[in-house]
Amino acid sequence: MMFQLSDVPRLLPELMLAVLALLVLGSDVLERWADDPTARRERGRAAAQLTSIGLGLIWLVALVQGGLAFTIAPASTAGPLDALLSLGRNLQAGGAARDALLGAFATDGITMMARLVLIGAALVVALLAGDHLPDAHPAEFFTLLLLATLGMCTMAAAQELIIAFVALECASIALYVMAGYSARQPVATEAGMKYVLFGVVSSAVLLYGMSLAYGVTASIGGADGGPPRVNTSFAAIAEAVRVADATQRGAIMLAVTLMIAGAAYKLALVPFHSWAPDVYQGASPTVAAFLAAASKTAGVFLLMRILTAAFPGVAGAAGSAGFTGWMALLALLAGLTLVLGNLAALPQDVTRRLLAYSSISQAGFVALALVPLGGAAPLRDSATVALLYYLVVALLASLAAFGALAALQSAGVADRLEDLAGLRQRNPLLATVLTIAIASLAGLPPLAGFTAKFAVFVGAWEAGAAWLVVVALAMTVVALAYYLRMLRPIWMQPAGERPAVSVAPVTAVTLALAALALIALGVLPGPLWHLAQAAVLAR
Amino acid sequence: MKLVDLAPTVPWLSLIWLVPLVTGTLVAFLPDTRRQLIRTLGTLAAAVSCVLALLVTLGYDPGGPRYQFIEQLPWLPGLGASYLLGVDGISLAMLMLNGVVLVAAALLSWNITEHESSYWALLLLLGAGAYAVFVSLDLLVLLVCYELTLLPKVLLIGGWGTTRREYAATKLALFMMAGSALLIAGAIALYFGSAMRTFDLRLLSAHALFPVEFQTRWFLPLFLGFGILAGIVPFHGWAPTGHVAAPTAASMMLAGVMMKLGAYGCLRVAIGVLPAGAAAWLAPLAVVMALGAVLGAALAMVQRDIKFMVAYSSIGHMALALLGFVSGSRNGMIGGVLQLFAHGVLTALLFGVVGRMLYDRTHTRQMAELGGLRQVLPFAALLFTLGGLSSMGIPGFAGFWAEFGVLLGTWERFPALAMVAAISVPLTGGYTLLAISRVFFGPLPDALAGLPRLTWQERVAGAWLAAILLAVGLAPGLLTDLVAGGVAPIADALARVAPVVPLR
Repeated sequence: MMFQLSDVPRLLPELMLAVLALLVLGSDVLERWADDPTARRERGRAAAQLTSIGLGLIWLVALVQGGLAFTIAPASTAGPLDALLSLGRNLQAGGAARDALLGAFATDGITMMARLVLIGAALVVALLAGDHLPDAHPAEFFTLLLLATLGMCTMAAAQELIIAFVALECASIALYVMAGYSARQPVATEAGMKYVLFGVVSSAVLLYGMSLAYGVTASIGGADGGPPRVNTSFAAIAEAVRVADATQRGAIMLAVTLMIAGAAYKLALVPFHSWAPDVYQGASPTVAAFLAAASKTAGVFLLMRILTAAFPGVAGAAGSAGFTGWMALLALLAGLTLVLGNLAALPQDVTRRLLAYSSISQAGFVALALVPLGGAAPLRDSATVALLYYLVVALLASLAAFGALAALQSAGVADRLEDLAGLRQRNPLLATVLTIAIASLAGLPPLAGFTAKFAVFVGAWEAGAAWLVVVALAMTVVALAYYLRMLRPIWMQPAGERPAVSVAPVTAVTLALAALALIALGVLPGPLWHLAQAAVLAR
Repeated sequence: MKLVDLAPTVPWLSLIWLVPLVTGTLVAFLPDTRRQLIRTLGTLAAAVSCVLALLVTLGYDPGGPRYQFIEQLPWLPGLGASYLLGVDGISLAMLMLNGVVLVAAALLSWNITEHESSYWALLLLLGAGAYAVFVSLDLLVLLVCYELTLLPKVLLIGGWGTTRREYAATKLALFMMAGSALLIAGAIALYFGSAMRTFDLRLLSAHALFPVEFQTRWFLPLFLGFGILAGIVPFHGWAPTGHVAAPTAASMMLAGVMMKLGAYGCLRVAIGVLPAGAAAWLAPLAVVMALGAVLGAALAMVQRDIKFMVAYSSIGHMALALLGFVSGSRNGMIGGVLQLFAHGVLTALLFGVVGRMLYDRTHTRQMAELGGLRQVLPFAALLFTLGGLSSMGIPGFAGFWAEFGVLLGTWERFPALAMVAAISVPLTGGYTLLAISRVFFGPLPDALAGLPRLTWQERVAGAWLAAILLAVGLAPGLLTDLVAGGVAPIADALARVAPVVPLR
């Protein structure tokens, strides 16, 4: 396993993200000739535009390189597009590969899919943030956004403990700063502080689990009876787990438990969720959108990598066949999260807190979707497809919902439920987008949320966790109750004296596209399903 | 007998539900100021879809295969679900019902003056979803379309309704979501239970596919999941408040079509796929339905608000229809489907009269404050009386054949329950006649003199519904042959596992 120069293209999207981050920062440094509000706003817009255009470009590169949606045929005839086609062909040739880079960085279908999802989310957030600039240091804000995205993409590709941890910290540290970005507002500072404290503790817990896992490889012999292969790679850990005896499995389960707990903080699974409502409420809504959508998704990718690559040996079961291993642990967390997350959302009166609890309950569904990944190969593959599908849909819905709230905040609408009264009259577009996003989160067809939830339920049911599906179904009824609390003022209460709401054009278009995507993916789930299938089968 | 030859290359069934859907989407983008255009487009879409449903009904060959006009496209192959459409006699009766009610509901929506574009978009979406449920032969697609109707209902009630509308909308949504949760669990169980990994209802209802124990366990969740929307007692709590709070057109769709969606699901999915499961539960369910029919009628009797009276009478009538289904006999099932059709039309007529023609003019629904309206609104009085007579099951109206079939079928298996359920007939007569005499006869209160006359839309819609009731009542063969053909396979499958013992 040597790193060759020809391997560089496999990292192209990540490298481009790093370059773009420096470019955004650097170009802003050159523009600091004036510090009046107009100049500051101009600088912010320049940074936002550069980031958005760059992210769009990187997303296209990731799309072509991944080869999930289409493959470019070998050159046949020379046409006007030949140069472009050959560029794409070269990108694809240097893209997916079976073996991980240096055994540490996988560039398989899952990575390709993760790049599309995460870079896409960052793009949406950048577009929204362009109309919702922070009060100070806008360029640094977008640099942090890019660095966080870089970390997240790497998290999704990690095949080894050190890369995984470094990537996680790269994303987290950037997010800590972003959460408390509006330093002049005490709520934002509080949100940032809370997020840092919880994040650091979770990192410590995760790290402890990782060190235990590393220790396991040092004390268990190789599969061939040879000496232990001391290594941080997931493959080495999986091998050690496979040959471990019953007493050693105790330590292994402790490692898995700690790692799941650490990741559960990032995903905001109950009982590690208490930071989420405060942070989502205190941070700026665009950051909250990024946290709820991208950060969570990246955490799921990391957890999926760790559990399926390093610990298939202790997957266990979560149903009639027994209640052991990490499947049982995740099923338990999923059940707890679904019940408590949904019940706690019921009495919320602040829109963003309500959505925060909704986002917690969505994480419960994700944990439910992770359970069948411990099953045998055909089930694991179909469940992974369902999980990827769910992640994309949940991400889109969160972006649309939090994005709409960001637009409302920019328009000066306060954040209690009653402030939404008569929104259908004050801004029909925002009312519709919010309704579609909420209906998708609630799992109402024909929106994508229904299909996604259904697919996830089918997987969990097949893995034997029918009881968990029943719990989740019961909770969808509870969930509808609080989602309706949000729809009620929008549709059923008169606007009264409340003024009309105006939305900036870029935000309006972005939100409308996200809502349209939710409808399109719900009515025609086939294409995204095939994309996810291609990602799973390509590994 | 096939009356019209339809080109097989045209996707007729898709067209039926796409016409209102596409029009609804278009209308959503029109500004509210284009009121006349929105109303015309919406009513046209309803009429066109109704005509298409009629064409398909006339083009159906009763001597041909069970399901006709099959359309199949891949939808979610990863889960074994496809966009699979087809109709049999039961679906056709329901399609016609939806078309008839949607046209009347559209005509009675011309007085909406708030947020017209979203109102019409939601109304048409509701109609499209109902059409799609009736033509789906894939369980997952059926569930998608079934739940697709939830949000329009809730928003129509909450956004344009009257009495305690937020409460009513929320209650309806939660009841229906609870039903959906049961249905999703049931659908997944069927998916894995059949080992075929398919949602194709044709395959799932193949004879003796599931072991009896499995059928017995999963029949009830599926039946109740659909039954909640059919308003079965004791899960009917959403119905009175929902019907009363809804704007007139939505009440008509809700009682006229939506409750039928639930009953249709009970018959097509719960009984059709799990006959042995149904056999195990027939008797207790029949008891519940017979009592429900009496309870609905009795509750209607004591209402002072006339819209509540119609709402409770719907619960009683739906219980009768479901009693026909769980009687497990062919006559009962035919009567049940006829009851769905007849009640759908007559309740739409009654809600149309009560909600639009009376309440919008008098602004009260208390029977004590009404009276003598025959003098100012004679046509409304005529319509209400015609609807009421049909509701009472007077021969010559569609309701007669329906109740007759249901009681006949119930008698075959549960004679005692048939007698219990028959109590609801005089009760229905009682409250209907009481309402007619209180509201339309007697002295006219001074406050109600000089009410505005009926508009042409109201007259056309009312005459249209009344004409259908009379037509089916006088020539029941129009519908019974079709329905009998659709019901036969379901009744036969049930009879194989639970034969009806002839009475001595």
